[in-house]
Amino acid sequence: MFSTMSLRSAMAHRNLLYLLALKELRTRYKKSVLGWAWSMFNPLSQMIIFSIIFLKVFVATPPVGDPSGLKNFPLYFLAGVLPFNFFSITIGSSIASVQGGAALIKKVQFPHEHLVFSIVIAQFVTLMIEISLLTVAMLIAGNDVLPWLPVFLLILVLFAIFATGLALMLSAANVFFHDVNYLWGILAQLLFYATPVIYNPSATSLPAALKAVATYGPTGSYITAVHNVMYDLRFPGPVRWIQMTAMAFLSFGAGVWVFGRLSPRFAEEM
Amino acid sequence: MSGNVLQVSNLTKSFRIHHEKTNSLKGLIVAKGKNRYDEFTALSDVSFSVGEGEVFGVIGHNGSGKSTLLKCMAGILVPNSGSVAVHRRMSALLELGAGFHPELSGRENVFLNAAILGMGRKDIAGRFDDIVEFSGLENFIDSPVKTYSSGMYVRLAFAVAINVDPELLIIDEILAVGDVTFQQRCMEKFVDFRNQGRTIVLVTHSMSSVRDMCDRAVWLDHGKLVGEGDPSELVEAYTEQMLGTRTDRGDGSTRRGSGEIQITQVEMLVGENPAPVKRFRTGDKVTVRLHYRADKPVSRAIFGVQIDALGGQCITSPCARDVGLVPERVVGEGFVDLVVSDIALMPGTFDLHTSVTDFNRQHIYDYVHLALRFDVLSGKLFETGSVVTLRPTWSLTASG
Repeated sequence: MFSTMSLRSAMAHRNLLYLLALKELRTRYKKSVLGWAWSMFNPLSQMIIFSIIFLKVFVATPPVGDPSGLKNFPLYFLAGVLPFNFFSITIGSSIASVQGGAALIKKVQFPHEHLVFSIVIAQFVTLMIEISLLTVAMLIAGNDVLPWLPVFLLILVLFAIFATGLALMLSAANVFFHDVNYLWGILAQLLFYATPVIYNPSATSLPAALKAVATYGPTGSYITAVHNVMYDLRFPGPVRWIQMTAMAFLSFGAGVWVFGRLSPRFAEEM
Repeated sequence: MSGNVLQVSNLTKSFRIHHEKTNSLKGLIVAKGKNRYDEFTALSDVSFSVGEGEVFGVIGHNGSGKSTLLKCMAGILVPNSGSVAVHRRMSALLELGAGFHPELSGRENVFLNAAILGMGRKDIAGRFDDIVEFSGLENFIDSPVKTYSSGMYVRLAFAVAINVDPELLIIDEILAVGDVTFQQRCMEKFVDFRNQGRTIVLVTHSMSSVRDMCDRAVWLDHGKLVGEGDPSELVEAYTEQMLGTRTDRGDGSTRRGSGEIQITQVEMLVGENPAPVKRFRTGDKVTVRLHYRADKPVSRAIFGVQIDALGGQCITSPCARDVGLVPERVVGEGFVDLVVSDIALMPGTFDLHTSVTDFNRQHIYDYVHLALRFDVLSGKLFETGSVVTLRPTWSLTASG
């Protein structure tokens, strides 16, 4: 309808996306002494807590990497928790970003989806930094993950596409019902325990139903693939790849559709 | 439709007014999906077009649909029916500095804000120096904008907005920002814009800007287009209509004072006509008549009047003591006249306050705030963009 939606303005808005992501990264740790180190402290403290609970309280045996032979719970935990945190923070921040963009949405015409995309990009950059530290830790532990990094990256990209779709859907819905914001807090927690981050789905006496959720659930399937590649040093099976790809594009397609339907009404709803 | 930059066709926009705003699932469930609401039509079947190079005004009272129209034109709101066609690169300035981030530096915010307004990175880089120069913030551009004063903030935002280089500029009531120097520069920029043949749509309450700047205007009333054409005529008609609705305005006056003398009534008279009026024209002979009542004798009481522009700015504040009217004894009822033989107020609305005090103007017997609100219509005398005229005479002497 608006002739301003030309290729030229699309190009210009690509610039907006870049600058919004940059803003996100630049402002995140402003005024904090330790700055970016904080992005690593949260998963590290989680790692310490869960390692103590897992190894000392429950006295469980850490999963053994097949075929890597690695037997190290903290690293197993870290490999899972970093992508999972990326997922949950991306969606939570996207919801906040669209809600917090009200002043802008009501006063300026611009593609609202950039509020979500910029969060995804900024969080992905953060994830990359964390992953490089994980890689170093894996190498020190004697797990040669270097050849597996391209496959790992591919899994993370699919996971990011999956997360983007959900972020689009939930952030758009949240404009109309602020409950979504709170609901997501609970849902993210449920997903955390439904995902094999603090436990080994194959080696424990897990009921079959829970095991299926853990390995083939929405986030479980991606994290299982991550463990395959980074902990076990083995290529995920074809079924896993099909599932991950299908979920990513289904979620993304649905997200784009829902967001596109709802975003013209943002300005009057906010 | 050649030559049209903006075409608004049969635009209708309505909003739902929820009785109980349901922003939660619980609310939705409790209401069993039957969300009770009223439809409020903000714009109904509005059509007009703006030609290339025109300065186009939109006037109307509060709630007339101006802002909704603006947001539809800017693409922020989606109309229920009808359409807005924009054929040029548009920039809509609804709010200055929307999207400024306090923690980022002025430089970073310039890039971000310009990108939000739709500029590419190379464009911004090319104009960056112009933007900074226009804002006059060269020394602060690398400080975070949270350290800026509100004036600096607005100047930077305006500098970005004006440098987006639109062919069609839509502006909402933002001409009055910054200090006098900066306003002057903004005004020059607008004149430049107009002279370069760019199109401007101006939405404002300031009747004088519409009259001075616009080539054409539309008048919105309760979401309907009620007039279109010459700005002076529209402004006149609009002012007339606003006055018609003023008579039923509740008396918002307040009073204080010890009450030895009370001002019982304030009237304005024009010429020799004994019937009080509330509107007259520039240049009329106007009498302000203050009726008083004093139950006990009061000596050396001083009457005074103050006239404010609608914005609250004091225009004049004459006092009877200034001309030596110091009655030795006031008792009973009577009135005091203040006669202006040729009133110099320019068209607009004014408030009149009145007081009666002791000789030192320290003790207040009675003070009536907002005793009277009156309107001035344009008379023979006319000056653009002012509140009063000094009735100057002009001459040009060519030497050599």
